[in-house]
Parts: sequence; C-alpha cells; structure tokens
Amino acid sequence: EDTRSRKTLNTDYPWILNHDHSKQREIADWLTLEIKDFVAYISPSREEIEARNQTISKIRNAVKRLWPDADLHVFGSFATDLYLPGSDIDCVINSGAGDKENRNSLYSLASFLKRQKLATQVEVISKARVPIIKFVEPESQIHIDVSFERTNGLEAAKVIRGWLEHTPGLRELVLIVKQFLSARRLNSVHTGGLGGFSIICLVYSFLQLHPRIISGDINCLENLGTLAIDFFELYGKNFAYDDVAISVSEHQASYLPKSEYPNLQNPRTTFSLAIQDPGDPDNNISRGSFNVRDIKKAFAGAFDLLTNRCFELDAATFKDRLGKSILGNVIKYRGKQRDFKDE
Amino acid sequence: SQCPHKWKRVYCTLCNSKKHSRNRCPSIWRSYFLLEGDSKRVLPMHKIFCYNCGGKGHFGDDCDFRRSSRVPNDDGSAFSGDNLPKKLKVEYYR
Ligand SMILES: [Zn+2]
Ligand SMILES: [Zn+2]
Repeated sequence: EDTRSRKTLNTDYPWILNHDHSKQREIADWLTLEIKDFVAYISPSREEIEARNQTISKIRNAVKRLWPDADLHVFGSFATDLYLPGSDIDCVINSGAGDKENRNSLYSLASFLKRQKLATQVEVISKARVPIIKFVEPESQIHIDVSFERTNGLEAAKVIRGWLEHTPGLRELVLIVKQFLSARRLNSVHTGGLGGFSIICLVYSFLQLHPRIISGDINCLENLGTLAIDFFELYGKNFAYDDVAISVSEHQASYLPKSEYPNLQNPRTTFSLAIQDPGDPDNNISRGSFNVRDIKKAFAGAFDLLTNRCFELDAATFKDRLGKSILGNVIKYRGKQRDFKDE
Repeated sequence: SQCPHKWKRVYCTLCNSKKHSRNRCPSIWRSYFLLEGDSKRVLPMHKIFCYNCGGKGHFGDDCDFRRSSRVPNDDGSAFSGDNLPKKLKVEYYR
C-alpha cells in the first residue's frame, strides 16, 4: 500500500525524487526549494541542447543551399531558453530580397526539405495571417515552425534576454506559470490563452513592481515560494483587467490607466488583458488572449491551492510532511523521464 | 439564515487580525527571507504603480478608487504599503 502511493507520488512530482524539503522550518522556504528543483528538473540537459542546435544548423544549411540570400534564425522560447520539454521550435527565414513569404516559396521549401530527408509530417499553412510551414525533423523528432520575412520575433527575443539578465527569478517563475497554464491548455494564443511573450510580461511586471523587490529588501531567488504565491494573488485576484494596461520597455515595466490609451481596449469587452507594444503605444500585444476569464480563474485557483497546502502542511507533523509536495498541488509533470542532475 | 455559528469570532494570535484564524494566517506563507542593511533603503516612488487604477505613487491595496476586481481582498495582498520595510512604510504613508 505504502509503496504504491509512493510510486504515484513520484510520477506526479518527479522533481522531488531526490530532494526532500519537508523539514524546512519555514513553509515558504520549502516551496522555494521545490520550485528550484522543478526548474532544474525540466531544464534541458547538455545532450538535448546539443541535439537541438545540430538540428537547427542542418536546416539552416539546407535553407542556404536552396536560397543563398536567405538565413534562418530561432526566436520564441528556444531563443530565450524559456521552453518546456517537447515544445516546438519557432524559426524565421529572412532573405536579402525579402520575397520569401508567398505560396510558391513555402511549397518549394517544404518539398526541398522533404527531399533532403530533413522534414516529415510537413504542413504548409499559406493562408494564415502569419503563413508558416510546420514539420518534424525525423532524426531528433523535434517539431519546427518556420515563418518568413519577419523581424519582430527576433527583436522580442533580444529584449527578453536582456530582462532575464537583470531580473533574477524571472526565468524560474515564467517556467512555473508556463507549465501551470500548459497543463490547463491555457497557453496557446490560438485558443485565447496566454502566449509565451504575454506570460513573460506578466511575470516581469510583477517582479518590477513588487514592494519588497523595488525597495531592495529581498533577493528574489531566495524568495521564489512567496513570490510565486504573490504572483497568483496579483493576477488571479486583484489586478484590474478592466481598467489597467501593462507597459513594458527594455529596462522596466509599469501600469497605465486604459482610459489614457483607448486603442488598447478590446472593443467587445472591457475585461481583457492589455499589454502595450513597446514599439507602438496603441497596439495591444495580448489582444489574442481573449480567454482572460479562465486564465484569471486558474491563477486564483492556484493561489487557493498553494495557500491551503501551506496551511495544511504548516499544521502537520514532520512525519506527516515527509514525501509531500506543495508545488505538486498546482503542477503535475508527466514528461519523459530525465536524469536528475544533482549539482 | 440566522445561523448562530456565523457570529463565531475569528482571531489570529500570530498577527492580531480579526479577519482570519491562527491556522489560516497569511504570515504562514508570506514570510520573506530579508537582506541585511534595512537602514539604507530608499523609497522608489517612481516604481510604485497601482494594480487597481493604473495610477502612479500608490499600491493597488491602498487605492482610493472603487475596487475593480470582483474577487475580495479582505486580508490585504503583497501590493500594499504594509509590505514595505518598516522605515519605508513610514515614509510611504506620510
Ligand atoms: Zn494572522
Ligand atoms: Zn489606484
């Protein structure tokens, strides 16, 4: 009986396999350590990073053979190391002539990659607002999306890398929120969820505006547990989605009254997430995330689950705490088994 | 609906609040590991923004406008002047 329950526990919260934090005197420290373990657990190993880089350079070389004036770049979560295991790699092809975003070019690249045995399960989506081709690279089995003649994704990745450099805790909290939303299928813009960039903006604004952080009172990495709960509290319970927009720039984040930028407002409902485009103050980057109601509800639910778990475990004896997880109350991870690297 | 149990008083012996009981005190999880050198802190007014009205200079919990979110915030959140270090709290509320 005991071993069986232990086994389920391990497959649901594999990050606690080697580390037991149940003896932490402060519940907040227990959660902090669990978050660090989770992040270490889902971070790719060196072998995975190398396999991904090799795959990309094979495809980049092939693109160069087909179109000598073109180059392929990675953007999105792979360019910022904020991806979860199994996510797609987003790439963009930009060319000197700037003429590759058309039906013919998409199909000629698709059949070229197939002939070179670099792509299987190829889909050409030429009629979308952002035309792409999607395929699976057969050797690595990595899913790849390629778009054409666009630089905004590359610029965003550069800004995010800057934020990551000067904002300790950003990476950890983004990965937690991403995994939380992806398990609830609320992380895809196609279905009204929060895209990667919006998630990063929420976490970045939270960290840039938190009273203990702006006053220099805490080190974020030592307080990830409380900060994670504070995050879910802010965007799940208190933030005024109707009236407030989030503004981000290269070095900071702030809030704005939506009334000052009526173009950021969703014409159909005031209850919407507005993140101001740093390059165009009237453009709302997150207008695709129409399902704010469920996102907010999910964040509020995470707050309740985490705090209830803290209260429960705070009252429990050390013996009853053994093998328990706080983070496991909101995050289940059943990914492929990884070697747990203890550093 | 005159249930007498509703009148049972809650009181928290940890933080002297009448809004929750001892075993549901937010201080159980909202406990920051602080850096040393509290005396040198300055209040960065230009970094204070309100989650409720989007205005500058105050936190959302301390906003004078009508609360926009329908989820109640009875106990106070992290975004409050009360969540500043002691010395800065005095400066903020002045
Ligand atoms: Zn209390
Ligand atoms: Zn306000």
